[in-house]
Amino acid sequence: MELKDKLISSFMAFEEKLDLNSDVHNIRSKSFNYFEKNGFPTKKDEAWKYTSLEKLLKNDYRIFPKKVISIELRDVKKYFLYDLDTYKIVFIDGIYSPFLSDTTHDGLDVCLLSAALSKPKYKKVIKKYFNKIALKNDSLTSLNTSFTKEGAYIFIPKTVVSEKPIQIIHFSTGKQGKMLLQPRNLIVVEENAQVQIIERHQSLKSFQILTNSVTEIFSNKASHVDYYKIQNDYEDSSIIDNTYISQDKDSNVKVHTFSLGGKLIRNNLNFFQNGENIESTMKGITIIGDRQHVDHYTLVHHSKPNCNSFQEYKGIFSDRSVGVFNGKILVDKIAQKTNAFQQNNNILIDDNATINTKPQLEIFADDVKCSHGCTIGQLDNSALFYLRSRGIPKKEAKALLTYAFANNVLESVQIPELKNRINSLIAKKIGVNLGHDL
Amino acid sequence: MAYTEEELKKELETKEYEYGFYTDIESDTIPVGLNEDVVRKISKLKGEPKWMTDWRISAFKFWTQMKEPDWSNVKYKKPDFQDISYYSAPKSKKKYDSLDDVDPELIKTFNKLGISLEEQKKLTGVAVDVVMDSVSVATTFRETLSKKGIIFCSISEAIKEYPDLVRKYLGTVVPFKDNYYAALNSAVFSDGSFCYIPKGVRCPMELSTYFRINQAGTGQFERTLVIADESSYVSYLEGCTAPSRDENQLHAAVVELVALDNAEIKYSTVQNWYPGNKHGKGGVYNFVTKRGICHKNSKISWTQVETGSAVTWKYPSCILKGDNSIGEFYSIAVTNNFQQADTGTKMIHLGKNTRSTIISKGISAGKSQNSYRGLVKIEPRAKNARNFSQCDSLLMGNLCGAHTFPYIEARNNSAQIEHEATTSKIGEDQIFYCNQRGIDTEKAIALIVNGFSKEVLNKLPMEFAVEAQKLLEISLEGSVG
Amino acid sequence: MLIIKNLHATVDGKEILKGINLELKPGEVHAIMGPNGSGKSTLASVISGNEDYIITKGEILFDDNDLSELDAEERAHLGVFLSFQYPVEIPGVTVTNFIKTAINSSRKATGKEDLPAAEMLKKIREKAKLLDINSKFLSRSLNEGFSGGEKKRNEIFQMAMLEPKLSILDETDSGLDIDALKIVANGVNKLRDKENGFLVITHYQRLLEYIIPDYVHVLFEGKIVKSGSKELANKLEEKGYDWIKKEIV
Repeated sequence: MELKDKLISSFMAFEEKLDLNSDVHNIRSKSFNYFEKNGFPTKKDEAWKYTSLEKLLKNDYRIFPKKVISIELRDVKKYFLYDLDTYKIVFIDGIYSPFLSDTTHDGLDVCLLSAALSKPKYKKVIKKYFNKIALKNDSLTSLNTSFTKEGAYIFIPKTVVSEKPIQIIHFSTGKQGKMLLQPRNLIVVEENAQVQIIERHQSLKSFQILTNSVTEIFSNKASHVDYYKIQNDYEDSSIIDNTYISQDKDSNVKVHTFSLGGKLIRNNLNFFQNGENIESTMKGITIIGDRQHVDHYTLVHHSKPNCNSFQEYKGIFSDRSVGVFNGKILVDKIAQKTNAFQQNNNILIDDNATINTKPQLEIFADDVKCSHGCTIGQLDNSALFYLRSRGIPKKEAKALLTYAFANNVLESVQIPELKNRINSLIAKKIGVNLGHDL
Repeated sequence: MAYTEEELKKELETKEYEYGFYTDIESDTIPVGLNEDVVRKISKLKGEPKWMTDWRISAFKFWTQMKEPDWSNVKYKKPDFQDISYYSAPKSKKKYDSLDDVDPELIKTFNKLGISLEEQKKLTGVAVDVVMDSVSVATTFRETLSKKGIIFCSISEAIKEYPDLVRKYLGTVVPFKDNYYAALNSAVFSDGSFCYIPKGVRCPMELSTYFRINQAGTGQFERTLVIADESSYVSYLEGCTAPSRDENQLHAAVVELVALDNAEIKYSTVQNWYPGNKHGKGGVYNFVTKRGICHKNSKISWTQVETGSAVTWKYPSCILKGDNSIGEFYSIAVTNNFQQADTGTKMIHLGKNTRSTIISKGISAGKSQNSYRGLVKIEPRAKNARNFSQCDSLLMGNLCGAHTFPYIEARNNSAQIEHEATTSKIGEDQIFYCNQRGIDTEKAIALIVNGFSKEVLNKLPMEFAVEAQKLLEISLEGSVG
Repeated sequence: MLIIKNLHATVDGKEILKGINLELKPGEVHAIMGPNGSGKSTLASVISGNEDYIITKGEILFDDNDLSELDAEERAHLGVFLSFQYPVEIPGVTVTNFIKTAINSSRKATGKEDLPAAEMLKKIREKAKLLDINSKFLSRSLNEGFSGGEKKRNEIFQMAMLEPKLSILDETDSGLDIDALKIVANGVNKLRDKENGFLVITHYQRLLEYIIPDYVHVLFEGKIVKSGSKELANKLEEKGYDWIKKEIV
């Protein structure tokens, strides 16, 4: 059976267990109609010109988990940021794991979307925010919306500064066969509130898994959101990450994406600016090899004056890997004094690696400063020579330079423990011995 | 009293197309509409050999199977292809020995355009192959050129006189299957220029052609083929102005350049067709396919100054097939009022050590939309390929838009690609600085725009640079940023 | 030549100049000194016609013309020159091209023909020599990538080319090392004569060692609070601006 057909019948089965009269269900069925009509994107869609889902969609995925599987903390501890006190929302094969989680309702809500969708006390927030910015005319987002069931729910009330970072971790065990996971996260940060969030998708062994995740983040007036995505999964794991961020005036949102492993990764990162004096930052490091494929698709929509956006993506590609960067900056007529900066630098290590990049500026306001830069090249030979003249062997020198090339993106990481962790992940990936334990 | 922004804008809006006039010359026109018979008739009227007729027919058949493209960032009313006349030639088809024999009406037109053939001849030493509507009416300096073995004539003439050359290269760089408008052009092209530079010859003068769209309701389907044989050099200029006309006019030209080993072709265009009036009515649709192929160690350089046309859709490209070949693209595109331009280039790196440079300057004013669309493609075999691209946009006023869509595809790890793009406006501080030195705002803008465009203007041959600079000023007068 | 009467001016709705009175006669050099934020640069901008500044009261007369009614370029045509504190970059426009355009614009405004190319070239060479500017410099883009010293020297070069009646030097000494300062001052001194006047705006007395002023005015909170001879500048250097502040209070 084609995956699409399977999804259609699964949706009908799914509906049977739900309250069909709820507002949320209305949204689900509308979204499903969209998906049913449009299906999965193909390479004919401009937005998917360089990334094909065709092969992935041939797998026969399980849509709903069959059973609850428990895992021992000691087996997965290394995937946590354990040297730091954090809240944790952990899922195993799409099902919440209370044992591994550490949630709270004390002054802020760090809990489950399923709870938020069903309990009356969250009704107002759900009504105000749920599915408000996720694109209605995007097939994959619509598909996720139609199967909305579980995910993280985070609510930071006015002026609250979350003392601890929040970790959202999705484990997949591979014990139930090939799987399609569709987590749905809702994050609301109210006026002057602040939060740091780390998201990770992790398989526990190599098997065919496809995650189609949707996250909506609302950053209200003068709030700060610091979001980190760690993508370092097994070679058969694929993810399509759809993140939508709405920002009100004076807010500041930073998203860092570290794509170091997995089969196919597609990050759709969308920023909508809805007030003045907004700062939006997107940074990414991609280091892949084999036949891995990473596609960053960013959009920043500047619709109010005096806002800034800053994008910096670095990529290092070896073997037959493929890197795609598509960054779109849209500046409305009214958005004067916009400052939009975009930089995409890539290094191709091997002959067979491919990079396709398409930065895109669409500008309708005249008093703006927008720039994008893109480079594809190799390591700086003079720097290489410099290191070698100091006695560092070629291989190490290359690794060091590669490491340095990627590493400066880490400067803006606000959580020192995370920074160290990523640092050593990168070092390991590149094969640099940093000489000290990070 | 201060010359306000409003006043400037008003003046700009009322600035009518300078070259908007119409020459009354009797024409020989095929009735409107397009079908296989029309294609055959065009071929017959031109006395073409069978292979040419067959080629046209295949192109036409292919075209009928195609769909008009809509991926570009422009909006326009699709032309009705059954409402266009596909052939018109001035009645007096006799070739002239001297300019005195040419229809005085025509001479008058050229004088208005400031391209008097006499002057051109005497002052600049440029050989001019004038295309008036579709048929060549005057060619000068043929003799000087023929002494060197250079062929410079109309393509219809070339089809008859040099069938082997034409047959060998026509459609090799832009096959008729390439795209919708290339197919249409291949089926119905009426005339154009042909140029062949023999081995080792350096063309002693700039070759230039002036195109005009003149006949009401006449589509212009030019076909240009330039072949630079091994180790030769040619600089080719193409300049266009068109009379003011209310209904939209379609122009779908095809230009093919072939640079054989060690050859160099420099192709420069100044395009100033009627852009439509300030309400966006009328104007030329300029849907052009221009492409060159570079063999070993050869170089093709495109330079364009695009100020006219209501809708432009144009990507002069280079296929860098030979090792060590070089492709260059220098472009200034100015849009004002309701003009829309979607232009750029494709640099396809196939050979080793191939290099390409792209410098694109877009200037948008009024309610216009200006897009750069480019592709840099490094194929796996293209070791040590280099590309540098720079796309700068200048916005004047708050009703226009500037867009950049640079596609970059690299499939070789020795590639080095750099791409930069910026969007900015003319700073008030820059204008005040000029004002303080006694330069009025209008002149200041001209100065700043010229400075912005300089890297491209510098690439134009002298004769063109002055005209281009003037065009920039005319196109932008008064649009204060 | 220049008469400023009870001049009040605002920028972004904030009053910066609060009643300036000043008269400058041909041949005179006036120095305007004052602490940061006292309104020195505002005065320069208002005289030269920057539209961000609005005159709310008072008048500026230049050779009997009411400057407030004229655009910046018209003031320039009358002979008002401002050496900018922060000269603007204009990419792609060479120094030579720019100055040619400026000179011919002024000539056109005063009903004169363009300066013949040969004369222009001669004049450029002459003035460039005066300011120790080489020909390479002249073909660079205006102020683009210039060092601080080069920018200021370029300003004085333009002044020499345009031969204004009134030159306003806005913090011309800032960012200059001593050698550059000497070159600039030397250039200014060579241009001094009975017909033209200078308004030298500076924070420090240093420049006035080389360009000796006839009068020194101290600007404080938008008003000239003290005027005197060159000695006043020395005193300011010695004691700073505090004693003046005390004196006013």
